[in-house]
Amino acid sequence: MGRAAGGAEPTGVTEVHTVASAVAIPVIGTVAVDVAARADFDLDSIDDLRMAVDNACARLVRLAACNATLSCSFSVRLERIEVTAEVEVNDMVDPLPRGSFGWWIMRCLTDEVSAVVLPGEPGQHGRVCILLIKHALTTGLW
Amino acid sequence: MTTSVSTAGTEPGEYAHLVALQHRYAQLAANDPQRPQVREALINGYLPVADHLARRFAGRGEPLEDLIQVATIGLIHAVDRFEPGRGANFFSFAVPTITGELRRYFRDHGWSTRVPRALKDLHVAIRSGQMQLSQQLGRAPRPSEIADRLGIPTSKVIEGLQAGDAYRSSSLDELLGDQGTATVGECIGDLDNELAAIEDREALRPLLAQLSPRERTILALRFFRQLTQTQIAEQVGISQMHVSRVLRQALAFLQERINCPD
Repeated sequence: MGRAAGGAEPTGVTEVHTVASAVAIPVIGTVAVDVAARADFDLDSIDDLRMAVDNACARLVRLAACNATLSCSFSVRLERIEVTAEVEVNDMVDPLPRGSFGWWIMRCLTDEVSAVVLPGEPGQHGRVCILLIKHALTTGLW
Repeated sequence: MTTSVSTAGTEPGEYAHLVALQHRYAQLAANDPQRPQVREALINGYLPVADHLARRFAGRGEPLEDLIQVATIGLIHAVDRFEPGRGANFFSFAVPTITGELRRYFRDHGWSTRVPRALKDLHVAIRSGQMQLSQQLGRAPRPSEIADRLGIPTSKVIEGLQAGDAYRSSSLDELLGDQGTATVGECIGDLDNELAAIEDREALRPLLAQLSPRERTILALRFFRQLTQTQIAEQVGISQMHVSRVLRQALAFLQERINCPD
């Protein structure tokens, strides 16, 4: 995590790589809170981001191949945080089917959400990726 | 007996048959050989209530099986001590008895994370600053705004917010204050229109029905009315932290079950 503590640095990228296991999710959630708080997001947006990240990671962990790594990156832009969370999978499954309850929740918690399924090279795992964008001071309405 | 049953007519339908049994149990002499059998039937009948209450405490560092056992002990006390002749219904007696037992269990197990006193004080100051600012601004404040209000560095506020996660676990009483007292309507009827956008709504509906009225209300306000946590806190009359906790628990419950329908 390459960010100075306590500063109101406007931009920067924080990456977390963990085993794709449910036990790692609270750690990633805590990082999300820290990044958003240091970016001076309002408390509602901080909590929304945390819930969205928890949700995204929980979905990816469920799809993860054996011994997969869960990689999350948090990019702080002006009044906006972009999150990507990805994991290696055996089956190419959409982690957030449009119209599902999970998708609906993510839509309410973030300003933009999408999922990408990336097939692997022959003999290699594919990857599934969830991308989120969260603005400060929004209600989550599109 | 039938007249006294009607005084307890507010019992939820699925437990209606137990009300009569309750009266029978109360009338049996202490040494009546039927007593143990009736008692057991009552305890088994009300077991889902203990189970439900135990689940509300899950995810707080104690295994669910232990919580269910503790809740069942509470239920047994409730069955043994309840006097139907007094006119109150069993639930209004049993729910506090069971949650009291659960609460005591948590207290005795010293389960809450130890946070240094100064950090706790900081956390309390931050949360009260948050509430004042939310009212003034009409939205949740930023850490820098809280820092200005309290006259401390923003980094201190961030530190205090993080301590909050450990600290929030100790405000169990706040969690328990909400048994069945939704102040805003139940919303489940109104939800139908909004659920139309969700393809797995048929699976969702019975799960929503399992939430408490307050959980359902808060969930609906956040995810269907698209209110912010701060707006919900104001409407329902609880803290934003509490709203957050209810949302997280309710979501965990729904997501877990909607993924594995069994």
